[in-house]
Amino acid sequence: MARAAHPQAMQPKKPGTTRTAPPKMPDGFPGKGRYRTYVAFETTGLIYLLMGFIILRAIWQLGAGEAGWNGVMDAYRNPIMIGFHVLALVGVIFVGVRFFWLFPKAQPPRIGPVRPPPAAILKGMLYSVWIGTTLVMTWVLAGGAF
Amino acid sequence: MKQLLIVLEPVIWFMFGQGIMIGTILLTGWLIVVGVGVPMGIFPADALAYERMHMLGSNVIGRVVLLGLIVLPLWKGAHHLRSLAVDFGGGDRDAIVGSLLYLIAIVGSLLGIVAVIRL
Amino acid sequence: MSDVQIKKFVVTRFDPDKDEVPRTDTFEVPCQSDWMVLDALNFIKDQLDGSLSYRWSCRMAVCGSCGMNVDGAPTLTCKSPLSSYGDTVEVTPLSNFPVIRDLVVELDGFMEKLKAVKPWIIRAKEKAVEEGPYRQSPEELEDFKQFSLCINCMLCYAACPVVGNEPDFIGPAAIALGYRYNLDSRDEGASERNAIFRGEGSVYSCSFANECSEVCPENVDPAAAINQAKLSGLVDWAASLVLPRGGKD
Repeated sequence: MARAAHPQAMQPKKPGTTRTAPPKMPDGFPGKGRYRTYVAFETTGLIYLLMGFIILRAIWQLGAGEAGWNGVMDAYRNPIMIGFHVLALVGVIFVGVRFFWLFPKAQPPRIGPVRPPPAAILKGMLYSVWIGTTLVMTWVLAGGAF
Repeated sequence: MKQLLIVLEPVIWFMFGQGIMIGTILLTGWLIVVGVGVPMGIFPADALAYERMHMLGSNVIGRVVLLGLIVLPLWKGAHHLRSLAVDFGGGDRDAIVGSLLYLIAIVGSLLGIVAVIRL
Repeated sequence: MSDVQIKKFVVTRFDPDKDEVPRTDTFEVPCQSDWMVLDALNFIKDQLDGSLSYRWSCRMAVCGSCGMNVDGAPTLTCKSPLSSYGDTVEVTPLSNFPVIRDLVVELDGFMEKLKAVKPWIIRAKEKAVEEGPYRQSPEELEDFKQFSLCINCMLCYAACPVVGNEPDFIGPAAIALGYRYNLDSRDEGASERNAIFRGEGSVYSCSFANECSEVCPENVDPAAAINQAKLSGLVDWAASLVLPRGGKD
């Protein structure tokens, strides 16, 4: 059973004289079918917000000195923190896959005289940048360079 | 408050868009190494030793990347949580919920700028 | 003569003069194998209960009148074969709309939103008739043709989670039909429309669920129009900050 929508949803500014039954939200929203995927996509907002602050704290401690940074690294070895980071990684990959699937259609047919490349090529470019940046960051951060 | 949000909506959406695209691209490598790889012993712990991380983070490119890693996920997070709040709580409180979330993102962003300057 | 199968139809009923809230009626319909959902509703109306109210007209997915929820999904009933449904079919009015009677929903709210986005060609100065027509190349037509195929069936509004929560949101079809003119080489009203797209109920309310495009029977892809309008609105907004007269000619 769909839940009630906002009582004013799709109401004209001047309501008609006939009494109407109030609008309902779409069937299956928010827990079923494609809506579930969409809600999961939005829920990753919590992961991103937390990651922003977790990285902020890490960089703040990096600026504070060696003891502060080592404290961050100790905290990251906590199994709960590792579990969260694994979840965050899954969430980030999910966001990337869904967003890069939707991204081409959000491009206008032309920007000035230039037409964006076809969707398949655009997606390929996005994935190349994503995978390439990830490989470079992994290589640099994991000690492969410098 | 609602009117201010309406005026700022294009900028908020721009920050959200960068968060979802560049934020995702940057976070993946960070999570693989700093979040999971080194803590689980897949990569050597020395890789994230203080001197090395400070050297990597304190040059111009490092500072820009770290700032992106802090600021962009905050905006993606704030905007998507605002949408989630509308989906579950309706749109009537959107202005107050949205403003609070963006305030959190603004404060975090400003602290992020300070954090990378301190390096 | 095609095969006949009895299907049970659970149909929402609402009489504003009698019913406090919508209820359901169940009908058993001998369905022919080549019937669409609309054919079964027409059978109910003709043979079982003449008081059943619903909209329909062309029977060929052009007029956009017969949109309803079938088994919960926004559906153009003249285009949906009954063979793809089970023995029991639930038909309800489109979600997110007030219900006038049975399966008929209130469309005036949409008409107001559509009018608000100025879905017509805006010219700073009209050409005189003797100057000839406004010419347009096939490539220029291709830029917006997809968005002009909307038949106003309202399935996109019924599928959109934002429409149900934010009454001011302009919504998918109206944005697609407005943005279509922004892409039209003959039009000069893009800045005017972008200001509307950025205003109350703005395109930025859209959270890109993409459901509008999933249910669109004409592959208009309103989600594409909305998200392109966001970018266009951003560029226009930035131009209004740095260029005199808001970047207008």
